[in-house]
Amino acid sequence: MNPRLRHILFSLAVLVWSAALIYFYASGRITKYLAPDFRPIAFAGGLGLAVMGMFNLLTSGQRADCLHDHGGGDAHDHEAGDIHPLAAFLLMVLPIGLSVAWTKDEYSPAALARKGLYDSPSQMGNAFMSTVMPPLTREMIEQGHRKTDDGYHQFNLMELFFATGDREMQSLIDGMKVETEGRWIDEKTRNPNGTRKRLYRLFITCCAADSRAIPIVLEFNGPPPELPENGWAKVAGTMRFPLEEGVLQPVLVCDRADSAEPPYEESFLRR
Amino acid sequence: MSPDSQQDFALAFLSILFEGAPFILLGTLISGFIDIYLPAGTMERFLPKRRNLAIVMSGLLGAVFPVCECAVVPVIRRLVKKGLPVSCGITYMLAAPIVNPITALSTWKAFQGQGAAMMTCSRMLLGFLIAVSVGLVVSRLSLANVLREKILRSLNEPEKSDGHHHCGHNHHHDHQDGCCDHKTHDHDCDHNHDAAGNDRLVAAFRSALKDFVDVGVYFAIGVSITALFNTGIAPGAAWLDTLAGNQVAAPAALMTLAFILSLCSTSDAFIAATLDKFSWGAKLAFLTFGPMMDVKLLFLYQTVMRKRFIAALALALFLVIGCISTFWQHLIVQAK
Repeated sequence: MNPRLRHILFSLAVLVWSAALIYFYASGRITKYLAPDFRPIAFAGGLGLAVMGMFNLLTSGQRADCLHDHGGGDAHDHEAGDIHPLAAFLLMVLPIGLSVAWTKDEYSPAALARKGLYDSPSQMGNAFMSTVMPPLTREMIEQGHRKTDDGYHQFNLMELFFATGDREMQSLIDGMKVETEGRWIDEKTRNPNGTRKRLYRLFITCCAADSRAIPIVLEFNGPPPELPENGWAKVAGTMRFPLEEGVLQPVLVCDRADSAEPPYEESFLRR
Repeated sequence: MSPDSQQDFALAFLSILFEGAPFILLGTLISGFIDIYLPAGTMERFLPKRRNLAIVMSGLLGAVFPVCECAVVPVIRRLVKKGLPVSCGITYMLAAPIVNPITALSTWKAFQGQGAAMMTCSRMLLGFLIAVSVGLVVSRLSLANVLREKILRSLNEPEKSDGHHHCGHNHHHDHQDGCCDHKTHDHDCDHNHDAAGNDRLVAAFRSALKDFVDVGVYFAIGVSITALFNTGIAPGAAWLDTLAGNQVAAPAALMTLAFILSLCSTSDAFIAATLDKFSWGAKLAFLTFGPMMDVKLLFLYQTVMRKRFIAALALALFLVIGCISTFWQHLIVQAK
């Protein structure tokens, strides 16, 4: 292939990556993909790629000399690649192009199931739990959780979920009236009467690919209210930890459930 | 692919790509500038005269001259031809992609919340020890068992003259485009072209661009495969999950995956960190074996080494890294 055309193709491929990084950062959509400390790095990377792509594009026809010596038999080509330039261009551009077109910034229920949506708390790794759980005491529970006007303590979903694996916490929270928020989704296991739903949030360590679903079960006295599937909901009720099929489950017996605005940081983060 | 699978693939693909791309850029910019600006002979000056000490030092040279595995093979090919001991060259070749600051930084960032410091240190240490061990073994082998015949011949023969004056003079010769085209006249002269300094900057950026595309292609393929497994779309995802719990099969499976994916060491940690069903030890095996032996390297190594030596090296690396990673995992679990 003509070297100038090769430079142009490669520069365009780099500029496509750069545009994706900068667009997702500038639009704020990057919050669904990366933990906070990776976001500025991604933006800087996008800018760096833009500089490299533009520089190479603008100098694509220019002669350039490396000015150093090469041993005998050395092919001395700093630019020869492993793959045909057109194939390299397509391999770089097609997957990212399709992904940008396909993404809805969230996982489907099937992927969420794979990421632990229907796992019981005991199936989550200990190392994972130890990195995210603050040391809690009864005093901290009383002081650290604001009470709503109608008498519910506001908890984040992760505390309720992990309390299942912590006997002390579990005994403190069992029977407590709590309010929490998360995404509203169908309960597919142990729901013979159709009176249950599931509430979850994602926990991101570095990026969405390593995220885990953190769920609790919602129990209603009758049919659950009609709320948008996978939409955000605020629920309040009494927290219980029943033993179901040999496994402790975090179950919130709900008094109320309403749609809610998504929080700015939708996922739980490492810190 | 169903619409649900498409959205799952897209989210996982973009998140890993956004995470890893800046680190690939950093690595390729540095290796591009080293490629163009580093005079030949600079690395040899860092090495002590004593053979064993020189091998050990070669294992640390990546800290000063950080290059990934794609860039290191051509460099070694050139350096070996110019007199760098083969044992030192192979040690540097195996260690530099792992024992370098960019790989350390990317590993540390990727494993935040998953024992980042332990994984980074273990990876550096294991990579260094394996590379030095291979170097020490190679130093006791006959070069005929290690190097390709063509390379071996070029070491034994005095360099041929091609009619150029190799004395640092000014000369003009055929520059077609890009870097000067010496393909038709191999020589060993200290160039002193009339070209302006910014030619070199253009050459450095072009080298970085080429490296980025080379690495980016493999990264895009690797991220695509990882995203398919990560979201359960790939047919073998469930089978791979069953291997994750097996102490012996898990490192073997991830080393095989590393071999096939041919990822760059500057970005492979971002893939490994998402393999959440696998043990820490299996991930360490993935991160150590991949930069030393993969499909892409198999072809690159053949430009320098004999096929039989490469096969023996691959087998030895697979067994030794697998065993050490499993043992290391066991020790850490015991300590906890």
